[in-house]
Amino acid sequence: MKPETIIVPLDGTEQALAALPVARPLADALGATLHVVHVGERALPSRTLLGELGLDAEDVKGFVIDQRTGRAAEEILGYAARQRRPLLVICTHTDTEKPRGTLGGVAEHVLVHAPCGVVLVEPERGRRPWSLRRILLPHDGTPTTAAAMDPAGDLAELTGAEVLVLHVAAPGAPPPVEPGTLTAPRYLDQPQHEWPAWAAEFLGRMCALGHPPSEVRFGLVMATGEPGEEIVRVAREYESDLIVLAWHGVWEARHALTMKEVIRAAPCPELVVRARREGAPG
Amino acid sequence: MLVEEGFDLAREHEVESLLAISNGYLGVRASLAEGSEFSAPATFVAGIFGVHPGEGSAPELVAGPDCTRLRLVAGGEEIRLESGEALEHRRVLDLRRGVLRREWRHRTPAGRITRIREVRLASLSDRHVILQMVELTPENYGAQVLVESRIEAAVPVPPLTTPPPDLVPLRLAAGPVADAGPPRLALRAQGTDAVIAFAVASTLWPRAAEGRVPEVEAAPGRVAERWEFAAEMGKTYRLVRMVAVHTSRDADAPAGAAAARAARLAAAGAERIVSAHVAAWNERWRAADVEIDGDDDAQRALRFACYHLIAAADPRDERVSIGARLLTGGVYKGHVFWDVEIYMLPFYVFTHPPAARALLMYRWHTLPAAREKARALGWRGALYAWESAATGEETTPPAVVAPDGEVVVIRNGEQENHISADVAYGVWQYWHATGDDGFLLDAGAEILIETARFWVSRVEPGGDGRYHIRHVIGPDEYHEDVDDNAYTNVMAQWNLERALEVVRLVRERWPERWRELERRLGVEPGEPESWGDIAAAMYTGFDPATGLFEQFRGYHALEEVDLAAYDLRSGPADVLLGRERTRRSKVLKQADVVLLMYLLWDRFTPEVRQANFRYYEPRCAHGSSLSPSIHALVAARLGEVEIARHYFRQAAQIDLANNMGNAAGGVHGAALGGLWQAAVFGFAGLHFGQNGPEVGPHLPPGWRGLRFPIRWRGRSMELRASAGPQQEVEA
Repeated sequence: MKPETIIVPLDGTEQALAALPVARPLADALGATLHVVHVGERALPSRTLLGELGLDAEDVKGFVIDQRTGRAAEEILGYAARQRRPLLVICTHTDTEKPRGTLGGVAEHVLVHAPCGVVLVEPERGRRPWSLRRILLPHDGTPTTAAAMDPAGDLAELTGAEVLVLHVAAPGAPPPVEPGTLTAPRYLDQPQHEWPAWAAEFLGRMCALGHPPSEVRFGLVMATGEPGEEIVRVAREYESDLIVLAWHGVWEARHALTMKEVIRAAPCPELVVRARREGAPG
Repeated sequence: MLVEEGFDLAREHEVESLLAISNGYLGVRASLAEGSEFSAPATFVAGIFGVHPGEGSAPELVAGPDCTRLRLVAGGEEIRLESGEALEHRRVLDLRRGVLRREWRHRTPAGRITRIREVRLASLSDRHVILQMVELTPENYGAQVLVESRIEAAVPVPPLTTPPPDLVPLRLAAGPVADAGPPRLALRAQGTDAVIAFAVASTLWPRAAEGRVPEVEAAPGRVAERWEFAAEMGKTYRLVRMVAVHTSRDADAPAGAAAARAARLAAAGAERIVSAHVAAWNERWRAADVEIDGDDDAQRALRFACYHLIAAADPRDERVSIGARLLTGGVYKGHVFWDVEIYMLPFYVFTHPPAARALLMYRWHTLPAAREKARALGWRGALYAWESAATGEETTPPAVVAPDGEVVVIRNGEQENHISADVAYGVWQYWHATGDDGFLLDAGAEILIETARFWVSRVEPGGDGRYHIRHVIGPDEYHEDVDDNAYTNVMAQWNLERALEVVRLVRERWPERWRELERRLGVEPGEPESWGDIAAAMYTGFDPATGLFEQFRGYHALEEVDLAAYDLRSGPADVLLGRERTRRSKVLKQADVVLLMYLLWDRFTPEVRQANFRYYEPRCAHGSSLSPSIHALVAARLGEVEIARHYFRQAAQIDLANNMGNAAGGVHGAALGGLWQAAVFGFAGLHFGQNGPEVGPHLPPGWRGLRFPIRWRGRSMELRASAGPQQEVEA
């Protein structure tokens, strides 16, 4: 389902504004309304709000500007929950002391509890223009992760972007046990037959499960190594503009290690979508 | 029985392969009759290849139209698994009878509950026939019901796939005919003159009521029959469809032949088809069933293997062989490899010799292409294609783009020369086991001579006074362009020796036939004796000090890699290690020297067998589905029963494990044949002594016994291997 509301939380820092150059073209492509939301300890007068956020009237033409008071993360989540088909675009952190790739407290809370997809943007990218030409879609071959095919496909359909699906074979790691999973083939009797067949089966299966728009064509590449590092490497080589990550939703230590590595080191924003197969544990 | 409960869209391609029905002439994937968004139905007919337009395209087994397609509509609602709710859904492959059953209770979104039962078979007694019977019972409603069956040329192209799926589109050769005879459809495979024709005889029961005469639709590339009637609650309606199939390979006018057969089937009735089919399967099982006492999982895997092997061969047709994925899937394009002679043929030799003979006759009929391949590469004799289709010409693709973007040059067609010796091995094994002298004189001797001639031209004399074979690929395909691969050299040596032996035999026993053969093949005086000289001086890489064969020259200097550090379930070793590092290491793709130990068992001392297994087994990554079964077999013969059981289980899971996706493009024929060999030649230890077949069992813990029939020189025998001292051979 295509998002209809793009929500950009801004806290008044220069760093937070990095989300806007990403959110605006996404909203244009999706035909969505862009909402800028400020959460503060007290409500600001309308005439000073834009200035406090570092924006001018030209910056926000066509946007909905809103403000809330209270705890930032809860208010952002509450705001998103009230919107029709929301998508959050948020800066990973706004603390200038923190190293690149750190997820701040608000962003982490929003990511973990969001009722919708979340686009994470590094503050270091600043206000440089952004456009969507190449989407990287890491895929571990599980039916659960196939949930990322649809949002990636939607964005590709609307922007004309290419989508490259990346499967990483990790030496030493046991394959996922989820029924219907398709990982790198264990037996490769004759590569001239097995590779094309495997690629067709992988994409065909994941598209059948994920239901992306039928017009979108997906490329497939396979890499070998530690998944997080390989995703980041391929994203750089492929010059990805967006990495679409399907996430099972568990953030605690020892979970989401691949996603944490991608957030830490990716050269571009990430769209994190929740993926939970019916009946599967969280 | 092989049971698939429920419905998992992700696994559908695997299920379609595993539960496929076939009879050696044709094969039908076990796709849902009403289809799903991820169904890949197909009907394959042996020997019907098409060619994509464009230079260099190789022939591909045509994925013909789904013959079992149905559309069911009740009260305006289409009955499909993907809408509404499946209250029960089960597909059962009856391995013993060769019948696929489906049981399904479905509630539509409006709440209509329908019970549907379907039975399908590909007749083993009349291989041109597919029978489909469908029962439909409205459980809680009465409504207008539409039943539509159709055969259409549209190739099922899975959406959104790059690269394109390996399916050859069919183009229409002749329009569908809807005259007074059975509805029929003829289609021509792209790029060839091969035609497949279908004709249908259908009846909806009970017949008396109104609306039971089908409306026939005949459109280009499609023929459909449609029944529409007022269905009563609780009443069962039964559709019987008999589909006759003929091709331009077996009939001058395939559509007419199919229509005539369909008319005969309609007159005879479905019961006769079923009883003849079941009787044919019973007969094949009597000659092939391996019974294991004490291990139900192994029993199930072996019956699954035997089922697909029985279903894959057609003893009537000696111009086709068996593709790598049998008639169950389109991957490998129906191409024929050494898998047939080394992995599958023994099953037929010892359970159904006419099928084995037909498979070897395919090699005889394709000798001209094998001679031409040898000639084109600058050699003599017969070099069989690494991959072949109808004519035996080389069909190995020159390159493939791997998913990491690297273009991998495929050199097997040029360098995997051991296939010629493998074919010769199959010829010898068949003749030895059957005593079929007619085959030897008509075809087998010629194959042995022509393959021996290839090796004569292929070897190079070295400064060491030995003959060498350079620039080859052995069964271990991780190492390309190597010199003196032990498997290749020793098999070539054996090939030369057997050719000489056969020449001497024919010269002595059938001098007239020898003179005819000598004249026809232009055998020079003294030529056969020179084969013996070359064989005697062949370099084999054997080191008497260690008892080891060096897999190829320079192998022992390669890097050792501890495979235990890698979980090889996450991908094949050459992917995990990288192709280049794998090439520079001792890591093997599959049994190579270990396979040699098995094939030429009596040539080696027990110490040599043991030493080579011990050395090569830990270095093998089993990146090929052909590998685990041979390791199981050799380990069992060496008495290493725990190792044998481990590999046997691994081999059994290649198709049957439900989490690998391996079988989506068809079942693995070689792995199935290897599994049968592991049980019979490995655990039971079948071998041939002075008095004929003997068993020397090494059963794994828990196996109390093993019983199996074989055919030996015209006699049927039952062999019983037990965990105790008592072993039996009963003629």
